[in-house]
Amino acid sequence: MNLDKVIAGFFIILAMTLNFGFFYGDPSDIAMHSKYELFAAIVINIIATVLKLGDKTQIGSVLLATSLVAVIQLIAAATVWTIAAYKTTQLDPEVVGVILSLSGGALMANIVSVWLYVGETLKSKR
Amino acid sequence: MDNNSLWLILHRLRIPFLVIVITYTISITGLLLIPGIDDNGNTYYMSIFDAFYFITYTATTIGFGEIPYAFTYAQRIWVSMSVYITVLGWFYGIGTVISLLQDKLFLNEIAKARFIKNVKKLREPFVIVLGYSHITSQIIRKIQKSNLRAVVVESDEYRAHSILLEGFTPYVPYLVADAAQVTSLKNAGINHLYCKAVISLFEDDNLNLRTALTAKSLNPKVKVAVKSTSTHHSENLLDIGAEFIQNPFSIIASQIRMALFAPNLLKLEQWVYKLGYLNDPSPVLPQGKYIICGYGKMGRHIFEIFQKHNIESTFIEINEQYKNNLSDAESRQLFFADGDDKDNLLEAGVMDSVAIIAGTNDDTINLSILATAKKLNKKIVTIARENEFEDISIFQNANIDHVFMPSKILIHKTANAIIHPLSDMFVDLINKQDEAWGQNLVNKLITTIDENPKLFEISINKKSAPQIFDYLINSNNQLSLKIFHHSLHNRSILNNIVPLMLKSENSCTLLPSWDHPLSLNDTILFACDKYAMEDIEYIAQNINEFYYVLTGEENSIIGKFLKERKQ
Repeated sequence: MNLDKVIAGFFIILAMTLNFGFFYGDPSDIAMHSKYELFAAIVINIIATVLKLGDKTQIGSVLLATSLVAVIQLIAAATVWTIAAYKTTQLDPEVVGVILSLSGGALMANIVSVWLYVGETLKSKR
Repeated sequence: MDNNSLWLILHRLRIPFLVIVITYTISITGLLLIPGIDDNGNTYYMSIFDAFYFITYTATTIGFGEIPYAFTYAQRIWVSMSVYITVLGWFYGIGTVISLLQDKLFLNEIAKARFIKNVKKLREPFVIVLGYSHITSQIIRKIQKSNLRAVVVESDEYRAHSILLEGFTPYVPYLVADAAQVTSLKNAGINHLYCKAVISLFEDDNLNLRTALTAKSLNPKVKVAVKSTSTHHSENLLDIGAEFIQNPFSIIASQIRMALFAPNLLKLEQWVYKLGYLNDPSPVLPQGKYIICGYGKMGRHIFEIFQKHNIESTFIEINEQYKNNLSDAESRQLFFADGDDKDNLLEAGVMDSVAIIAGTNDDTINLSILATAKKLNKKIVTIARENEFEDISIFQNANIDHVFMPSKILIHKTANAIIHPLSDMFVDLINKQDEAWGQNLVNKLITTIDENPKLFEISINKKSAPQIFDYLINSNNQLSLKIFHHSLHNRSILNNIVPLMLKSENSCTLLPSWDHPLSLNDTILFACDKYAMEDIEYIAQNINEFYYVLTGEENSIIGKFLKERKQ
């Protein structure tokens, strides 16, 4: 067992699950999506990205790329939410749609990332 | 991705990044959880963005104050804690970046990346020079004069940086790396389209052999010029297919042979290396008894030559290690003593010798031997081996008759071999000729051209002689060397040219006659004056001039028109 692998795997999968947790729920109602969960998802995604830094292998580069995509999408979602929240008291459905679809995109990237990670692990003999 | 430096930064920054992210998260979470009191005395919780904003300017020590409302004591306690952890996190991150910028490994990676980029950008033929020394620096100067670029790989950092001080124009990219490694050669562009040759002139024969082997296996098309001081290594190098194997000691020995028996050949060789004119006095060594001090690599080569030509000689060697494995002939002529000693020189017969060769690898000893010998016998001819470049002025002032300098010979020979491979081959071939032949050629060159003819090489290929090539590609057409002989001003006048050598695919003709047929991919070496050189180039490349020389008629509308008017 490799502790590095455990930590990296933990954060990569946690990034996906938190992302999913935020995304899951009634898409028309923002109350069903916790902002704290989005915050946690962003933090964990950034940590997962940093853990993938500096890996020169082909698979490492692709993993880094997927994580970067997820982080950018989630930060974009948070930014949209912040701006919208300070402008009006009630979020209009269009903004809610944008926030959720951005986090949905990030979820896709996270799924690809986990899938690649699992594939790489299965391929490895150790 | 080949850019190691970027990856190195990212790899090193992993932990600082993590520290910053985690400290931020802890601080922000704390602020989100601790209740505050607003202006009206109501309890409120900070929004995520407010908390992030506050921590961002606090962690970077900017400190805009407490927003959105003045903090409660519970909040302040938490903030003072988070200031310590986040600010420390930032300092740690910045410290890591700064130490990375001073890191040797990192700087080397940056220099390497820049070097690789510079080499990739080269769009002119270039030569990889392995090892930077006095010798290779002079070679670089010489090849740059012939519009070849140079790229240097040197393991010693200090010496490599002195390339910058040398101020080569154009700029010479250099890499601080071990030349024996495959990656250094690859980085230096051995597989580059424009890489012409690799020069390896290390003191260490094994290292030379190794670099030659690596270079040849990476790219068999690249020419390899390599130094070798033993026959064993030379044979190995030949097997690898190294094009130019330079043994300075065998060159010196053959120069001494030529000076003894065929001074005109030596004169020709000096002229090819641009070290002298053809009407210089012949560099003659007297016949008679010789004393040679030093039986190292140079001494052995001289011994072979003297043995072959039955020259009376005595060898003195101070190092008794060489006593083992001596042949009969060697032990008869060799005695072990200090050559720098008056009595030993007298015993060796300095009084009735015509010349003394000081061939040890120590310049001071060489000078001292010759001074002693000169004192004992005023008429003796002194010949010295000079090892170090720094000693040039001492040797110049010491009134020595002939100075042989292995490193200088290496410079001329290697640079010439790279720039004019054909003339190098020519020098090798004339070494095998006799004095009469040399005398003849020198006279012929002086009478047809002048005392310092120019050397000119041309290949019958699509690039350097397109007209001849296109004409010959039709198998019905035939041309002889004569085509180059005519003057373009008037076809019936002949230019001052002597064809020295013609190399075709499987043979090499020394001094070919004017009727020698030309075929595709021949290379020809001419000695000529500068007008003839221009004419040869015009004939080879310009369709009108070629037509004129071939037929004696102008190949132009105006030319035809004028001719018709005349008739």
